[in-house]
Amino acid sequence: MNPKPVLAVIAAVLLVSSGSFAVDAGGDRPDPVAFEDTITTGMTAAATVQAGERGVEIPRAQVFYSQYRYVVGYNGVTALVDELGREGHDRQFGVPLTAYVSDYATAEPTLDDRGLLGVPDSPSTYVGWVAAEEAYFVVGSEARTPAGETVVPFSERGAAESFVASYGGEIRRWSAVRSMSFGTGPATSAAFERDVTAHHEWADRRVADAAAALDRPVSVVVGDDAPTIAAALEAAPPNTTVFVPPGRYDANVTIDEPVTLRGAGNATHLRGGGEGSVVTVTADRGAVADLRLSGVGATHTPEDVTTDRTGEWDYRIQLGYGYGDAGVTLDSANGSMVRNVSIDTPANGVVARWSDNAVVDGVRVNGTEEWSEGFMGVMVMDSRLVVQNSTFVGGRDGVYTHLGDGTVVRNNRMVGEDGMRYGVHEMYTSDALVADNTVTGASTGVIVMTRPTANLVVGNVVRDSYSGINVGGRASYVARNTVVGNHYGLEAPSTTSMYEQNTVVGNDIGFRAASLIPTNRVAANDFADNRRSVSASLGPLRVWTVDGRGNYWANAPGDDADGDGVLDRSFRPTGPVDSRVGDVAGASTLAESPALKALRGLQGLVPGLRPTGVVDEAPLAQPVAPDRLAAARGSNQTGENR
Amino acid sequence: MNRQSIDQLFAVAGRELTTVARTRAFLALAAGFGAIVGVLGWTGEAVGYVPLVLDLLTPVEVLVPALALAVGYRAILGDRERGELDVLRTYPVSRPTYVLGVYLGRASALVVAVAVPLVAVAALVPLFGGVGTTVIASHGAADSPVLYLRFVVLSAAFALVLAAAATAISAAATTTRTGLVLAVALGLALVIGLDAGIVAGLAGGVVPDEALGAALSLSPNSAFRGLVLSTVVGGVESSAPVSSAAGVVGLLAWLAGSLAIATLTVWSES
Repeated sequence: MNPKPVLAVIAAVLLVSSGSFAVDAGGDRPDPVAFEDTITTGMTAAATVQAGERGVEIPRAQVFYSQYRYVVGYNGVTALVDELGREGHDRQFGVPLTAYVSDYATAEPTLDDRGLLGVPDSPSTYVGWVAAEEAYFVVGSEARTPAGETVVPFSERGAAESFVASYGGEIRRWSAVRSMSFGTGPATSAAFERDVTAHHEWADRRVADAAAALDRPVSVVVGDDAPTIAAALEAAPPNTTVFVPPGRYDANVTIDEPVTLRGAGNATHLRGGGEGSVVTVTADRGAVADLRLSGVGATHTPEDVTTDRTGEWDYRIQLGYGYGDAGVTLDSANGSMVRNVSIDTPANGVVARWSDNAVVDGVRVNGTEEWSEGFMGVMVMDSRLVVQNSTFVGGRDGVYTHLGDGTVVRNNRMVGEDGMRYGVHEMYTSDALVADNTVTGASTGVIVMTRPTANLVVGNVVRDSYSGINVGGRASYVARNTVVGNHYGLEAPSTTSMYEQNTVVGNDIGFRAASLIPTNRVAANDFADNRRSVSASLGPLRVWTVDGRGNYWANAPGDDADGDGVLDRSFRPTGPVDSRVGDVAGASTLAESPALKALRGLQGLVPGLRPTGVVDEAPLAQPVAPDRLAAARGSNQTGENR
Repeated sequence: MNRQSIDQLFAVAGRELTTVARTRAFLALAAGFGAIVGVLGWTGEAVGYVPLVLDLLTPVEVLVPALALAVGYRAILGDRERGELDVLRTYPVSRPTYVLGVYLGRASALVVAVAVPLVAVAALVPLFGGVGTTVIASHGAADSPVLYLRFVVLSAAFALVLAAAATAISAAATTTRTGLVLAVALGLALVIGLDAGIVAGLAGGVVPDEALGAALSLSPNSAFRGLVLSTVVGGVESSAPVSSAAGVVGLLAWLAGSLAIATLTVWSES
């Protein structure tokens, strides 16, 4: 064989290929994209919409990462800076290849009297993009966005200087700005727990305040002092109690003064005429207690209601959900109390619209068998409410909140009997606490929709439902919940949220990771006996390890030779081998193969460029909450074999 | 080197290529390597070039030494056992010419066997690739075929160095048994021994922390791994693993040293 051509070809190919070391693999800087096309993060949907409507400018940023294929857009340069400093950020996204920030050099930015940033609406001014390395940032000026302090970038030093001359602050370059901190980053576990405690304390105060209405002296006794309940309410002076002795009463009544309507418990039975609400409260600090109510109207969405709120963005939602029939309707009745009332209803149990600080305590609502025929146990419309110690059987949703920011829903029982839709349903509701509720047989136990922020979902138990807990939005806290025997245990379309100390047992799919951008922190949860521990459908490979500690997986192969509480082998709950360990004979043998071990080592690198899935790099050797896990596993085995 | 030596060099190299091409065992090994690379690329669902490199790094590090030693350990040994070496010595062929010729022949076959499957499996990336949505703006991140090409070149260089080591064994060994023993020993040393030695040295304090980079360059496997991590993965991950220069020097030293040993031991010049 003549070797010359062979050698020549090999030498030539190697030589030319070696040129790859001379080429800069990073390539050219990509051009900025339209902000709407990015994966957007930072600030809530409501806040950005409001800012847009009011013409408030938010200095934005967009980043091309070395390890993440989607362009990430940040509402607020401050949000970007804080995210870059977050522990685990580099690990998941790589380093920023290119960052663009809003350029106000040609926009003539101004501040309004509240310091909110704006630009004149004229064709000669516009906001462009400038590479962060080339920008001049004004920090510490008077400029604000709805999210607080802001940084204003300019492509020209001169423009930045004139902004400083008008509104103060100083000019910094990107390297200096990058190392700053603006406090918009995700809260720590301890901060979330403090928030949970603060919500409980707030609720305790609201309950104590509202319960004072139950100490009002009796001024009128129905039957003795007045012939009917309506007449009694008419006669009763403010801050007194109308007592309704045991018996049946046909009544649809309205409380329009701070008066307490009180019966003797279930023995006092008020029957509405099958239309409208049985009791309506239109005064602050009204109270309804110790009654049984039935004969509620069946209307969910009345067609003849109009209000003076027509200009509000959610007017259709207000009419659609806030004016249905109910056992008790609180209408602009701040600080009112509904306690120990039993309600049979084809529509709502309690409606609370524009009634802040109202309390629903110890109520029982028997709704319809089929959720499509009923409505809400408690309907919260634009109110901050406490709903506690109540039982909701059937109906559509146990508790539905629309703009219920700060609401506390705790210690309730939702009994779906496979006919309920959602146990707790939050819409456009941020900063709410859903704690220690028990939901069974619902479509979803607790669901948070519409991209809100800072919701707290802790200590709930959801069983035998289609989905246990499904939290959307961002910067939320899902902790200490127990989900047993559902189709999905936890679902996480959320971003930058924390999932910890949850007990996930006996579900078809333990945890459904559903966000495109992998910023949830999932650690210190216990997984056992799920048909599949985790499914992931969108986004890149997620790393479920925080500060070197992951989750407990009952079936995870490997052992803890050095006794640090963490298995020596990473666990891939979505992987072809690890996902079968425990239910396919031989999978655990295969999982210990040296070949597989050798390959696993490097496969956790560059997660952003990997196919979707989940890897736990430091699976825990012991459960986080062993007692709760043991109880959940015990109840799962004795329960129905699904 | 004069004109005549060059002709002799190519004659020897051509003879080696013919031998290799006719060796069914080599073809089977090369096919096996290709199959493993293909399976790994397929099961890893590589959606990017850098992840594919990371998936293939360990297999290449283990399999290329095995392939190189299998291809090379009998190269000169075979000539010696069949008595062809004695015949060759009746010709005016110098030791370097003969050794280099053998090396070129075997090494080029090895490079082809290593590089072709690696290049082929890269075609899976666009096949699996795409980020799956058109709604959101996406980009290539720091991932690039250029980075993968670097990996292929480094793998080829790694193969060239190991082919030299195998040639040295085949020159130094006098019987099939010693050749086999030497090949297995070197294989184990490359894949496990040298790195384990460095770990032991670190633990025992023999290797100070500052000398770790230099110590790693003494092991061809570590030098290769370091070069891949720094030139391919380095730009994507956030921290650079080792200095590249030491690794290059280490590999070159192994190449030159092995060929020198082969030249000195092939026959005694007397």
